[in-house]
Amino acid sequence: MRFKKLILIIAVLTSAPAMIATAQTWVVPDDQKAVCAPIKFTQEMQKQGEQVYMKICQSCHGLPGKDNWMKLTPPPGDLAKDKAQLQTDGELYYRITTGKAPMPEFRNILSDDDRWNVIAFIRTFNPKYVQPDPSAKGSFSGRVVTLALQYSDPMKKVIATATEKLKDGSMSPAAGVEIILYVKRYFGNMQVGDMKTTNAKGEAAFEFPFDLPGNKDGYVDITAKVNDPKNLMKSTPASGSFAIGAPTDKPGLTETRAWWSTRDKTPIWLAITYTGSVLIIWGFIIYIIISILKIRKVAKA
Amino acid sequence: MEDNKPTFDKILNDLTHHIRINKGFLLWMGFLSVSLLICLYAYSLQLKTGLGVAGIRDYITWGIYLSNFVFFVASSLIGMLISAVLGLIGMKWITPLTRIAETIAVAFAAVAGLVIVSDMGRPERLAYVFIYGRAQSPIFWDVTVITTYFVLSLLLLFLPMIADMAIIHRKSTSLPGWLKPVYKTLSLNFTDSPEQNKIINRCIRILLILVIPAALSIHTVTSWLFAVTSRAGWDSTLFGPYFVSGAFVAGSAAVIIAMFFFRKNYKLQDYLTDLHFSNMGKVLVTVSLVYLYFNINEFLVPGYKLKRADAVHLHELLAGKDALLFWLVQTGGLLIPIILMMFKPFRKPLPIMLISVAVLIAAWIKRYLIVIPTQEHPFLPIQHVPQNFMHYSPTLIETLISIAPFILVLIIITLISKFFPVIPLHETAKEKGIEHIKFD
Repeated sequence: MRFKKLILIIAVLTSAPAMIATAQTWVVPDDQKAVCAPIKFTQEMQKQGEQVYMKICQSCHGLPGKDNWMKLTPPPGDLAKDKAQLQTDGELYYRITTGKAPMPEFRNILSDDDRWNVIAFIRTFNPKYVQPDPSAKGSFSGRVVTLALQYSDPMKKVIATATEKLKDGSMSPAAGVEIILYVKRYFGNMQVGDMKTTNAKGEAAFEFPFDLPGNKDGYVDITAKVNDPKNLMKSTPASGSFAIGAPTDKPGLTETRAWWSTRDKTPIWLAITYTGSVLIIWGFIIYIIISILKIRKVAKA
Repeated sequence: MEDNKPTFDKILNDLTHHIRINKGFLLWMGFLSVSLLICLYAYSLQLKTGLGVAGIRDYITWGIYLSNFVFFVASSLIGMLISAVLGLIGMKWITPLTRIAETIAVAFAAVAGLVIVSDMGRPERLAYVFIYGRAQSPIFWDVTVITTYFVLSLLLLFLPMIADMAIIHRKSTSLPGWLKPVYKTLSLNFTDSPEQNKIINRCIRILLILVIPAALSIHTVTSWLFAVTSRAGWDSTLFGPYFVSGAFVAGSAAVIIAMFFFRKNYKLQDYLTDLHFSNMGKVLVTVSLVYLYFNINEFLVPGYKLKRADAVHLHELLAGKDALLFWLVQTGGLLIPIILMMFKPFRKPLPIMLISVAVLIAAWIKRYLIVIPTQEHPFLPIQHVPQNFMHYSPTLIETLISIAPFILVLIIITLISKFFPVIPLHETAKEKGIEHIKFD
């Protein structure tokens, strides 16, 4: 009990300034406010958004319109209410993307499409909502950067090239863009080396660990992403499959007989030990039960 | 001893006069049944609403249901210690205790399986454990060995009783009429013929040997349910013997308590003598000392190294939130009983029964301390979750559901002890020097 009280006091003491601070500081930059969805929301988007919402958002925000959000500090709130619905799509998108504790950032968890789908879903709870025309989204004033990936055999390096679209519509190499390289592993993306900044040619060269296990032909899946924590740019990541890993032809974790494998992949020694023990001991039990029945027979004879 | 040799009729009467339905029995069973109904109502709420009615949440998923399970498996082990280990090394004084120990083994083993069902959200899928079980899983081994041990204990209870039932249904004048056909059927026309005795003795010998590995397995495997994980407090190579020795402590205490009440209620003072209590006290001291030794190993070794996760766990246990319970259990349930029972006056029936009650309660709390605290500080930090996810406290419904197995055990023990002789009649008569008992 005393412990619970202590937690409560700490929670109150820490949450009050946090609430004030949050109210004051979670400001969305004007250019981000003006961002709008790339296409007109469709029913399909709303349906997919609902699935994402139920999986990811609902645990804290509750069901929209039901006011059953989780009691956290600051309160997550019901997204069907004015507090959320009076914000622009750009503001919602920015908040989902960047997060602010205790709200996680979904930049690397949800794809662009998923984030817009969620907004499409949330908007279905606002009958007054009219979607801004997606074609009028020219108001964005940051850099628009597109990445490309290639492997340079002479240099033995992975090269990420950044190109940006200038105001006049022409394309030019983007210098000074921070790029992070990832390689796909079993459970997600692993960063390769340090972050690099593009040179005047818009290029960033990454050393690649060639002993990294690839598939049986040595292919590894690589992705380059722009490092843009403040979300100031619009960037398109690049992915590619390159034969620069160590060829590895190991069976999958559940394809061989092992402790952790499925029932039909029990290690043979274990199957024998288990079945053997059960058969021996139950063999004796059956023998004893038969003997018990014999006691009766012996008496009759 | 020889001058006041009891007659066969006296022994028969002494050991069977309690076999009847009387007012005390009806009152006691009525009380147990009503209590069980209340607990079953609580369980129906859980079935209807789901496991959320219990205090278990995402982080502490094993609550008092699991502590209960470990406790019940532990208590059932005593059958093996008394009948098999002490019996096979030729201890004569255990004769009147064997059936009590086997009754406790049967009751606790039967209920242990049910306790696990209380922790299942979808109990109707119980059969899936057998249908889809993986031979790699300790849970599957556990299900196998508990079932096996239960059957072995049941047979060990039944086989020595065949002769008793044969005598009683022929000789006893006080056996209630409705029990006669039951006794007649179960006694399998036993006439004490050499051939029949040969079969029974052979079966009992096989069972006594089989039950040793089976009993060791059930509690070792139960300990592996914990020890095969890398959680601090469970990640221990010592868990098998640690659990087994702890089980003997709990079981010996349970036997002493049962002896005390049978002796008093069924007037068995001549058969369950002070010597039996004193000897059981010595058994309890011995197993407690072994358990103490394992306890020292279990806490001192990780405490010396203080790996990070162990440090958090041990701190909470020895000096933090759970310290009061921990030290209460270690002193009140282990140290003090060991010291007291070394002195003869404390091995008299009443004092040793009281000590055993303390030991048994401590044994249950010890299971709580083994199962729950480590889950309150997992390796991955607990973040952004409601308060009641972080700390476990059992709910009322959960507590009622956890009381049900105790009531069931009491019902099983009461029924067996009330309708069958608590003390082996045939063997006792032979040991008291009565050579020829007529079976026809």
